Amino acid sequence: MKPKLLLVDDEEGIRKVLGIALEDSGYTVLTAENGQEALGVFDREQPEIVLTDIKMPGMDGISLLRRLKQRNPETEVIMITGHGDMDLAIKSLQYDATDFVTKPISDEALEKSLQKARENILIRRKLKEYTENLESLVHEKASRLQAVATPAAATSAGAQEPAESSRYQKLFDDMPCYIAVRDRRYRLTAANKLFRQDFGEPGAACCYELCKQATVPCEDCPVEKTFQSGCPQQTEMVFKTETGEPFNTLVWTTPVRDSQGEITHVLVMATNITQLQRLQDHLASLGLMIGSVSHAIKGLLTGLDGGMYLIDAGFAREDQAQVQEGWEVVKLMVGRIRGMVLDILYQAKEREVVRTAVDLAAFGEEVAGVIAPKMKRHGIRFEQEFAPGLGRFELDAGQIQAALVNILENAVDACLEDRQKSEHRVAFRIRRESQQVVFEVEDNGIGMDAETRAGIFTLFASSKADKGTGLGLFVAAKIVRQHGGEITVASEPGQGACFSVRLPAVGGGSGEAAEKSPRDQEA
Amino acid sequence: MAKKILIIDDDPIIVKYLTALLEDNGYTTCSATSGVAALDVVKREKPDLITLDLEMPEEWGPHFYRRMTKDPELQDIPVIVISGMAGRHAIKKAVAYLSKPFDADKLLLTVQRAIGLPD
Repeated sequence: MKPKLLLVDDEEGIRKVLGIALEDSGYTVLTAENGQEALGVFDREQPEIVLTDIKMPGMDGISLLRRLKQRNPETEVIMITGHGDMDLAIKSLQYDATDFVTKPISDEALEKSLQKARENILIRRKLKEYTENLESLVHEKASRLQAVATPAAATSAGAQEPAESSRYQKLFDDMPCYIAVRDRRYRLTAANKLFRQDFGEPGAACCYELCKQATVPCEDCPVEKTFQSGCPQQTEMVFKTETGEPFNTLVWTTPVRDSQGEITHVLVMATNITQLQRLQDHLASLGLMIGSVSHAIKGLLTGLDGGMYLIDAGFAREDQAQVQEGWEVVKLMVGRIRGMVLDILYQAKEREVVRTAVDLAAFGEEVAGVIAPKMKRHGIRFEQEFAPGLGRFELDAGQIQAALVNILENAVDACLEDRQKSEHRVAFRIRRESQQVVFEVEDNGIGMDAETRAGIFTLFASSKADKGTGLGLFVAAKIVRQHGGEITVASEPGQGACFSVRLPAVGGGSGEAAEKSPRDQEA
Repeated sequence: MAKKILIIDDDPIIVKYLTALLEDNGYTTCSATSGVAALDVVKREKPDLITLDLEMPEEWGPHFYRRMTKDPELQDIPVIVISGMAGRHAIKKAVAYLSKPFDADKLLLTVQRAIGLPD
């Protein structure tokens, strides 16, 4: 078959003369009079060689060269240049042109360039054959590995190498975590026993359909990251089984490369950390409590000391009234300590979400009231922007308040850590978006980089481990999750941060519907 | 005249305790339960010493201290910080820092070192 050559020149004369010469040299010649037309012909005919004028009206030769290389980097492009176009000629070589010939074109020079192009094509073809040979070898090996991973295929492979194959298959299958191998098209090419048991046979389903019951790929897919970067990833993900039961997993990914070093698959290992996370939640709420109550406890103990002192002194001077006074203080303090201990026990318990219809504006005021003194103390401007007509909404006021206060406190900390700006502000916004209520906390504090941002709500990453409890956002995220809501953050280092909490209405009811709910009427 | 100590703490029970403790040991006292109110008391009573809580709802101890020390007549009154907060650096010029719950004997000793025996 004659090789196809595309000739691009805006001068009809050149196209004709050169065209005939090239036909004579054994090419099937296609022509185009400008870059745009050339791309059309190229897409349709896929010529291996393109000969193009460098100076053309509209899209010039260099632009055409770049687009051709984008479409197919293996295309051999020879540039036709005029006298004094040396700069352009060199530029074209930088963009990977095969060669250039100067006008007026001598047959000799053109033939030399074409020969270079043909040689390139030939070398590439040989390389490809060689690679394909290698690939078939790799495929053969891979299918044996595959046989280990999939029980159906294992029987046939098992016939050849019974001992080895079954040993590896057993190892793969019995690993006490989920293991799967994913290709670039979201298909799982292998999965171990535990995986198949909990998520079903991979078959033709995509990974996100199997593991998350989702219809689109996950936004922060660690496998995609591994494909792109070639680096292993570790992250937390929420998986969902067929029955819709969600659970938290810690996921590792690692690239699987072919003999060329190309990443063809990614190995995914995941382990269920739901239990661990629950434990962590408990610890987190305890940690929060300890942080906030330790100060109060010190005050209570001092008060208790005071009560005992009054009693002692009263006895010493036989002052019945002072003994009585001291005793009242002791009773008061004991009562407060008791209340606090009960609070701690209550907080430490896994709490159910108890929704009641609340007036959102009043709720917002209440939440703001908790944090406002702290803002004032540190000279941070506190802007409250509550949309008009917020109405009522069903939520667990105590828990959501705790979550929002945690986020607001985090915003204050972010402002205090920032040394760049002279003035700091925190905005607290509430608005309705159809069925949802959206709470927003925006600060102009230190902000976060992508890595911190990705980790703030998760278990194994805490950027503030050295101060406070450092778990506030983790607890906030948990509460929001329990409400079926979503917590997100947008931030750049030095640019502050904006946290958004979205809560869906229960049962799809609107604010008005929530107002008339039976529970509310009972209350 | 007996030496006078101003007690500043937002918790009335702690004020009561400190009042009893210091008066039983021969000092006279006056008190304020917020930093805002305390400045007037300082001006009126001219205390020899102040015990100061750090975290109070209306105005924090350090802010009160800053306002007070702007007045040249008041700036040299010694201050003992008694607080549950770990904010030792909050008032650098404090003569002592006692954390709650504090030891009564230690407080009396600290007071004595700062302004001497009651008389």
